Amino acid sequence: MSIELEEQSDIAKVRFLAQGYHAWRGRAARLGFFILLIALWQIAASLEIWNEVIFPHPKEVADAIVLGMRDGTLPLAIEASMKRLCMGYGISLLIGIPLGLLLGRKRLLDDTVGSLAVGLQALPSICWLPMAVLWFGLSETAMQFVIIMGSLMSITLSVRDGVKTIPTLYLRAAGILGATGWRFYWYVLLPASLPAIITGAKLGWSFAWRSLMAAELLYVTSGIGSTLMMGRELHDMALVVAAMILIITIGLLTDRLIFRFGESFIHRRWGFDGRD
Amino acid sequence: MTSVELKNVSRVYLGQSGPVYGLSAFDLRIKEGEFVCIVGPSGCGKTTLLNIVAGFEPPDLGDVLIDGEKITGPGTNRFVMFQEHALFPWLNVSQNIMFGLKMAGIQKRERKERTAALLRTVNLSDFSTAWIHELSGGMKQRVALARALIMDPEILLMDEPFAALDSQTRDMLHEEVELVWQRTKKTILFVTHNVREAVRLGTRVILMTAKGGKILREYPIDLPRNRFLEDVEVVKIASQIRDDLRQEVLRASMEEGYHVD
Repeated sequence: MSIELEEQSDIAKVRFLAQGYHAWRGRAARLGFFILLIALWQIAASLEIWNEVIFPHPKEVADAIVLGMRDGTLPLAIEASMKRLCMGYGISLLIGIPLGLLLGRKRLLDDTVGSLAVGLQALPSICWLPMAVLWFGLSETAMQFVIIMGSLMSITLSVRDGVKTIPTLYLRAAGILGATGWRFYWYVLLPASLPAIITGAKLGWSFAWRSLMAAELLYVTSGIGSTLMMGRELHDMALVVAAMILIITIGLLTDRLIFRFGESFIHRRWGFDGRD
Repeated sequence: MTSVELKNVSRVYLGQSGPVYGLSAFDLRIKEGEFVCIVGPSGCGKTTLLNIVAGFEPPDLGDVLIDGEKITGPGTNRFVMFQEHALFPWLNVSQNIMFGLKMAGIQKRERKERTAALLRTVNLSDFSTAWIHELSGGMKQRVALARALIMDPEILLMDEPFAALDSQTRDMLHEEVELVWQRTKKTILFVTHNVREAVRLGTRVILMTAKGGKILREYPIDLPRNRFLEDVEVVKIASQIRDDLRQEVLRASMEEGYHVD
């Protein structure tokens, strides 16, 4: 290796380390910020400006989480919520992605079913709960129905919009390369819409999560939302806050673990943001 | 033999101030193995012509015949190279090149062999697993060329494929296209706004009118191969065409002026 090359690789190493340093500095700043926030909470709570019943101490919340984890009520609640969510959200993905692809391609379908989807999108999914309970009883099916109505439209419409913005150039290239019929949908339309599908799935997830929490709050059965409601009824604010923290944590974790993975996949292939 | 024939082809667009003729009563015969370059002022209908021959747009009137048979849409006997590469970002370089073979149901082993051979032809063997966004503009167009050649079309349609490249890369690609044409004797229809490029590559250059979508003049190019952009003869013919082009643009703008008055 020549001296110049060695020098260059040294520069590259330094740049690599600098990137690592920036990433770590970001993480440290974030951690510090949240520690500061909890410290402020601690101070505010120990000043006893508000009644302990309406403003719980951080330690009580931590205790509520530890206790709930130990006696199994929290894991059980998480399991119940996640089961509903996975079923409902999974069905939404299975219907929403193909439907979005079709709506993006078939004009007549978009003018009819598409405008229905836009209309239903304006209805907060929790409004379906009374109807769902009437139809399915106070059952898992009713909960899943609310989740589906909450996430299906946003997934479908995101995918549809993604399909509509695929550059004409790709579609023409697909035509002359002989991609017709199902091959066109499977080998061109689906992969070309991947950035939109990831966006839609992410949006659908957050709608599904919100719908589920609303449904569990309103109709006490089991799950994290019900835990929160139970805390309210028992005047156990520590449990309420504990449930809220749990809801935030699960939301963040899915974003980090699942969607980051999808986004980095797109990033690797498309370059920056999937817009080529 | 694979000839292309346009018979009385017209295509009209509705513009803000009335109809705009992409092509009107356009007649053109391209013989097998010809390398025809179309030049003309922007908006003269060059791209319309190419889209119609490709089958992307139907003509309003008239027919396009390939070997005497009327076309009804895109077909595998014609392949288009676009100004922008049109490569699929979700596939890597070799997957992009073999995509057409996959659609045609050709076995994986044969696909791989033919792709490897073409990667060598366009000097991109080291980049077979690279993603498209990682390539330079010239490399992307070389992949696009390989993707076109693997389909082994009888007719290659090229829509300003080198317009966005730097001059050195363009020179190299000119040589590659010339070599491919000499080796395979494919029929090529090449649209460009660069007159010298047209003279350097074509066996015939066609100059279109500024408006109205017609042929203004044709120039047979009987220069020996291989040519270079800087060849005295190339420059001489190109400057003559450029003069005609300039006069045509002037005439069209004068005409427009009178219309306004």
